[in-house]
Amino acid sequence: MQAATETKKILVVDDEADVRTHLTRFLQENGFQTTDAGDGVKAMEAVKKDRPDLITLDMAMPNKSGVKFYREIKEDPELSSIPVIVVTGVTGFGGKSDDFKRFLETRKQVPPPDGFVAKPVEHEELLALVNKLI
Amino acid sequence: MSDAPAPTHQSKRLDMRELACTRLFNEVPCYISVQDRDFRIVEANSKVTEEFGDRISEFCYSVFKGRAERCPECPVARTFEDGREHTSEEKVFDRRGLPHDMLVNTKPLLDHTGRIVAVMELFTDITVNKELQNRLHDSLMRFHTMFDRVPCYISVQDQDFRILEANSLFKENFGDRLGGYCYEIYKKRGDRCPVCPVAQTFEDGMVHSSEEVVIGNDGSEVNVLVYTSPIMDPRGNIVSVIEMSADITEVRRLQDRLTTLGQLVGGIAHSIKNVLEGLRGGVYVANLGFKNKNEEDIRTGWEMVQRNLDKISAMIMDMLYCAKERTPRRLPVSITSVAEESIELFRTRAGESNVSLKSDLAENIDTILADPKDIHSLLSNLITNAIDACCSDENEEKEHRVDLRVFQEDKQVVIEVKDNGIGMDRDTKSKLFNTLYSTKGTFGTGLGLLVSHKVATEHGGTISVESAPGEGAVFTVRLPVGAG
Repeated sequence: MQAATETKKILVVDDEADVRTHLTRFLQENGFQTTDAGDGVKAMEAVKKDRPDLITLDMAMPNKSGVKFYREIKEDPELSSIPVIVVTGVTGFGGKSDDFKRFLETRKQVPPPDGFVAKPVEHEELLALVNKLI
Repeated sequence: MSDAPAPTHQSKRLDMRELACTRLFNEVPCYISVQDRDFRIVEANSKVTEEFGDRISEFCYSVFKGRAERCPECPVARTFEDGREHTSEEKVFDRRGLPHDMLVNTKPLLDHTGRIVAVMELFTDITVNKELQNRLHDSLMRFHTMFDRVPCYISVQDQDFRILEANSLFKENFGDRLGGYCYEIYKKRGDRCPVCPVAQTFEDGMVHSSEEVVIGNDGSEVNVLVYTSPIMDPRGNIVSVIEMSADITEVRRLQDRLTTLGQLVGGIAHSIKNVLEGLRGGVYVANLGFKNKNEEDIRTGWEMVQRNLDKISAMIMDMLYCAKERTPRRLPVSITSVAEESIELFRTRAGESNVSLKSDLAENIDTILADPKDIHSLLSNLITNAIDACCSDENEEKEHRVDLRVFQEDKQVVIEVKDNGIGMDRDTKSKLFNTLYSTKGTFGTGLGLLVSHKVATEHGGTISVESAPGEGAVFTVRLPVGAG
């Protein structure tokens, strides 16, 4: 039986090493265990190996884009329950990843992501979202 | 008591006729004069006297035209010569010197032997008609000038789409081909266009408009905004349609520039957000280090800050480089050395992206006179783009690679950056070195290739690209040896 206070594991996916360092250190400081990946292919390997409790995901990445990775996760019945927070600098002029959100909402095959956080990341916003989801 | 005999019926009739003739001569609504062979006025009706004065026995050319000698083309002289009636238009001047346009008829007056003894000249004042005629002529000229000179293509077409009339600009750009079909002339098509504003106007009599791309005589494409309007006969039937097309090619070009400017703004905003994220992250990690007395966090944080400051500095420099004219600072530069540095700089990034970065740098290459920072910037941009092109290619079966080749051909140093990434189509290639064009949507600023193009041309060289979708790209830069 798992302890109620078991450390939750978060996978940080971003092609920018500095963003990965920032987010992983921030999440670690707030009591989470972290792993990270720099592209969609490595992220999928990490998901299958580590089974994270939550994923923070950048959109624009080499090898496999965030959108493609997201769709694969949500189409896989074993992985689809992992909550995903999109962390991206790509936003509409209204902010908060409007373009990406609209894009995903128009594709009805997969549900929209569980949360959106715009870069540069507001710590409190990300933390509140993470705590709400896991 | 009078001895005079009582007038007979015959003489009464003659008297009446003479009286009637005199009244008619004087009151007829035209000017009548009679000239002898010397062109002296021997008789004139009261209208002549009123308008020109009592000028009996003076020369007609003096009375009517203020001339000192007879007119070169004189209808009176011609009637004297051939005994026929003649008609002409003449300008005469009344006693106040005011001009009148006259329609002049001449008739011979014969004696009982049939000899011409005088010529009668009848003047009808047509000044008002002449003025109306002149106004009509001016209006027509104005209409033709407007039709011809208006800065858009105008044609008038019939139901079969044949060009009935066209203005000068139309003829200049599409040929003087009255009678030809609109679709052949405008679009070089064999049959009528599926959606045709001229046809719509013929159908409903309304004004229609559309935006079209037509082909000029020189084969160039012209974007036009077309308006069509019906031309009707007096009974309201549409007999033809006038088509006016304004050249909006320049407007479209500016719109494209605005779109690319929008992409630039989007790209820069995205890049700045990433840099801000890096800076914020660096400060956060360094602060954690200070708080926890963890030297590794302090070092990592400051490295992040340093790296992101470098990034934003480079971005600002690129923007400034593109924004202003400058003369490069020229030093003897070994392209091979700069290329080696660039390869080292990008080896890690290429490795992280699963792209193999190789170089083939020929030895004994002449130096060029160039600004080494500019050449470094050019190479960095080309290599970054090549790696990005590989990363954007989702063909997982490909082993992505970027090859940098430097060699010399005669008096030129050639830099070749080849990748087997996503490649690009013709349209993208044609826009590539234009100001602020990015293929990376919101992820690129469009500055990279603009900087590369500017560096190449400012150093007296060229930059070109060969590419096809899915087959990668080869960028070739040629720089003159020892010059620049």
